[in-house]
Amino acid sequence: MGMEAIKSVGIDIGTSTTKLILSELRLGRVSSHFALPHFDIIDRKVTYESDIISTPMKNGDEIDLMALAGWLEQEYRRIGLSLSDIKSGAVIITGETAIKKNADALLHYLAERSGDFVVAIAGASLEGVLAGRGSGSSEYSKKVKGIVANIDIGGGTANVAFFQQGKVLDTITFHVGGRLIEIDSAGEVSAVSPSLQLWLFSKNFLVEKGMRLTLKQLSELSSVLCKDMLDCLVGKMPIAAVKSLVHSASSETLPMIDEVMISGGVGRLALEVPPSTLDDAAKYNDIGPILAGELIKALKNYPLSVVEAAQTSRATVIGAGMQTTKISGATISIAPEHLPLRNIPVVKMSYSDTALEQYIERFFLQGKELFHGNFEVPFAISLAEMPYLPYLKLKELAEVLGKVYTRLFPKAAVLVVVCENDMAKALGQALRLQLAADMDVICIDQVVVEHGDYIDIGEPLNDTMVPVVVKTLAFS
Amino acid sequence: MQENEIEFIVQKVMEELQRKFPAETKTEQIAKTNEDGLIFTENDWKTSIPAAVYQEGVSDLIASTPARIGVWRTGTRPLTKTMLKLQFDHAAAIDAVGGEVLEKTLAEFDLFTVETCYENKETYLKRPDKGRMLTDNAVRTIKDKCTHHPQVQIVVSDGLSASAVETNLKDVYPALLDSLKINNLSAGTPFFVKGGRVACMDHIGEILEPQVLVLLIGERPGLVSASSMSAYMCYRPRKGVVESDRNVISNIHPLGTPPVEAGAHIGTVLKKMLEQKVSGVKLEL
Repeated sequence: MGMEAIKSVGIDIGTSTTKLILSELRLGRVSSHFALPHFDIIDRKVTYESDIISTPMKNGDEIDLMALAGWLEQEYRRIGLSLSDIKSGAVIITGETAIKKNADALLHYLAERSGDFVVAIAGASLEGVLAGRGSGSSEYSKKVKGIVANIDIGGGTANVAFFQQGKVLDTITFHVGGRLIEIDSAGEVSAVSPSLQLWLFSKNFLVEKGMRLTLKQLSELSSVLCKDMLDCLVGKMPIAAVKSLVHSASSETLPMIDEVMISGGVGRLALEVPPSTLDDAAKYNDIGPILAGELIKALKNYPLSVVEAAQTSRATVIGAGMQTTKISGATISIAPEHLPLRNIPVVKMSYSDTALEQYIERFFLQGKELFHGNFEVPFAISLAEMPYLPYLKLKELAEVLGKVYTRLFPKAAVLVVVCENDMAKALGQALRLQLAADMDVICIDQVVVEHGDYIDIGEPLNDTMVPVVVKTLAFS
Repeated sequence: MQENEIEFIVQKVMEELQRKFPAETKTEQIAKTNEDGLIFTENDWKTSIPAAVYQEGVSDLIASTPARIGVWRTGTRPLTKTMLKLQFDHAAAIDAVGGEVLEKTLAEFDLFTVETCYENKETYLKRPDKGRMLTDNAVRTIKDKCTHHPQVQIVVSDGLSASAVETNLKDVYPALLDSLKINNLSAGTPFFVKGGRVACMDHIGEILEPQVLVLLIGERPGLVSASSMSAYMCYRPRKGVVESDRNVISNIHPLGTPPVEAGAHIGTVLKKMLEQKVSGVKLEL
C-alpha cells in the first residue's frame, strides 16, 4: 500500500541543551491479506537534526519562552515545513528543567505550536525509556540474551532504563549530571544545583558558590558520585542507602545488569579524551567533561561490558520524535470530528461476569475523580485483560457501559474506549447501536494503557486507524 | 549379515542413544481426572522443557506460534502426552470434516437449508466441482424463498468443517448484521448451503444477482484448529469469477481472528466494494 510517511518532530528541552529532530515514520500493513488488516510503523528515519543549543534561561528558575519559540520558528523555516506538515511527535522537557517554574505551561505552549499532533511529555521514567530507545539500547537488547541498562546522563539527571528483549523492565533516575556544578576555567564554582546538596552534605563534601576547587578535587568528587550511582545500579548498595542521590525509581530492587550503554551529553563526552587541565575541563563551564572521564574510569571496576551507543547527546530527542507515537488497530470505530483528543485521563478496568453494572459503576466513579472539568470527554475507559467475549456478552457489556456512562456523565458528548485486544470495531458498533444519536463513540484497540496514564488520540490515518500517544503522568 | 548381528547393532545404537539422551527419570504427574468426567483444558495438555537454560527465550518462541514447540521429549521420542494431543487434534479435524451442522443451530438464525450436488461426504471430498453447483431443487427453493437482487446476500455453508459453523456462527453472524446496520446496508434472505465449496457463490450469484455476496464457510481443518471459518466476499458474483476477484477474512475462531471483530469488519469491506464497484485484489481497503 502506497502510504505517505508521517512527519514526526522531536524537541528535547534539557537542563543544559535543547535540540530538535525531524523524522519520517512509514506505515505498512503487517498482517496477511487473509487476516484482518493491521498496520504498524515499519520504518523510522531521521531526516533532520538541529544544532544543539544552550537552553535559553531568563534567570535561574525560568525558561525563556519567547527565545525558545523564536528558535523553533527559525528551525521550521530552515527545514521549509509548515506546522500542518508535521503530523506527530513530542516535546519533552527533561532533567532539571522539568521543575522550573513555567515548565508545564511552556511545554503545552510549544506542543501546540509544533504541529498537528505533537504532544507534551515529561517525567524522569519516560525520559529514561525514550533515551534508551533513541540510543539504540532497546534495539540492541533484542539481539542479546542479558539485560541492557541505558544510562542517559545529561546536565541535570542520569536516567537509567533496563531493557530485556526490547521490553522495559525498570527505570531509575539519579541526581547525577554535568551541570549540577558550574565552574569557570579557574576552578571557581559559580553555581551548585540544590538537588545535589543533600548528597554533598551526606558525603561531607563542602562545595559552595565562590569556592575555588582544583581539577583533582573535582575529579575526586565526580569519582565518588559515579561510584555511588554504579554501586546502586549493580545492586552493591540498596536504593535506600543512596537515597540522597536517587530522584525516583520504578521499584525497590533493580534487575541484574549484563551490559550498559551510556548516552546523553555526558555520554558523548565520555567518548572523548578526559580533560587534563582545568581550562580544558571547564570548556562548557561545568563539570560535564570531568564527570564523563571519571565515569569511564569507574566502570572499569565493575563486571559490566560497556557497549557503544548508536546515539549519545541526541538519544532522548530521537526517542521522543520517533518512538512516542503508536498506531492503533485498523478495525476500530471513530468519530473523526472529535479528533484529535488530548490529555484524556485513563480509567483501567477489566470484565466481571457477575454484577457487571456495579463493577463498571465503581470504576466510572473513580474516573469522575480524575477528570478535570472536561465535561465533553471526562475520561477514557481502558479495557484490559479481557477474556474472549462472545457476541451476547459483548452486547451486554456495551449496554451496561452506555447506560452507566449516560447516567453518570449526562453532559458527555463522546465515549472513549481503549481496548487491549482486537475487539474495538465490534464493541464500537454495539455501543453505537445502543447509545443516543448525539453521543459519539471512539473505540480503538491494540493499545495498552495503564490506570492514571493520559492518552492523546490523533486524527485518522488512511481513514482506518489513529495515531496514539500514551503518557505516564507528566507533572506530579 | 546375520539376523543376530543386526539385532546386536540395533541394541548398541539404542544404548548409545539412551546414553546421549537419557530419558526423563522424573515421571510426569498424570493429569487428574476431573470430577465431572474426562474434561481436559489446554493447561492439562501442557508440557515444557524442564529447567531450560534460557527460559525467557523459550517462552518468547512458544508465544510466537501455535505450533507444538518446546514440548520436551523422552529419550528420542515425544512425550506420550504430546503424541496423544496430536492424535486428539487429528481426530477432531477428521470429525469436523465428517460432521454435520445441527438443525437447531440453523433454526436459531432462521436459515433454511439447500444442497449442492455433493451427494455424500465421500463424493464431496473427491469431486470439488460438485460442491460448486446447487441442485435443481435448491435453485427452485432459492428462487421461491429469497428476495431477488438484494444489496447484500448472506450465505452460510459447512464446507470442510461443520464445527466451524457450530462454533463461530453465533458470534460472526449477529456482529455481521450489526455492521450492515451501521453501514446502512440492506440484506436479502439468508440461507444455509449443505456441501458447499467457495465457488458456489458464483452459482448463487447467477440465481439471485445480489450486488455483493458474503459466504461464511468452514475451512479445511488443521491441527491447530478444527473449527476455523472464512468469510469470502465478492462484488456481483457470477459464472467466470476468478479467485483474485474475491476477498477473504480467514482463520476466524476464538483463538485466531476474533469472530465478533471479523463479523463487524465485513460490513466495512462490503461497503467499500459497493462504493468502488469492484472486489478482490483491485479493491482498495
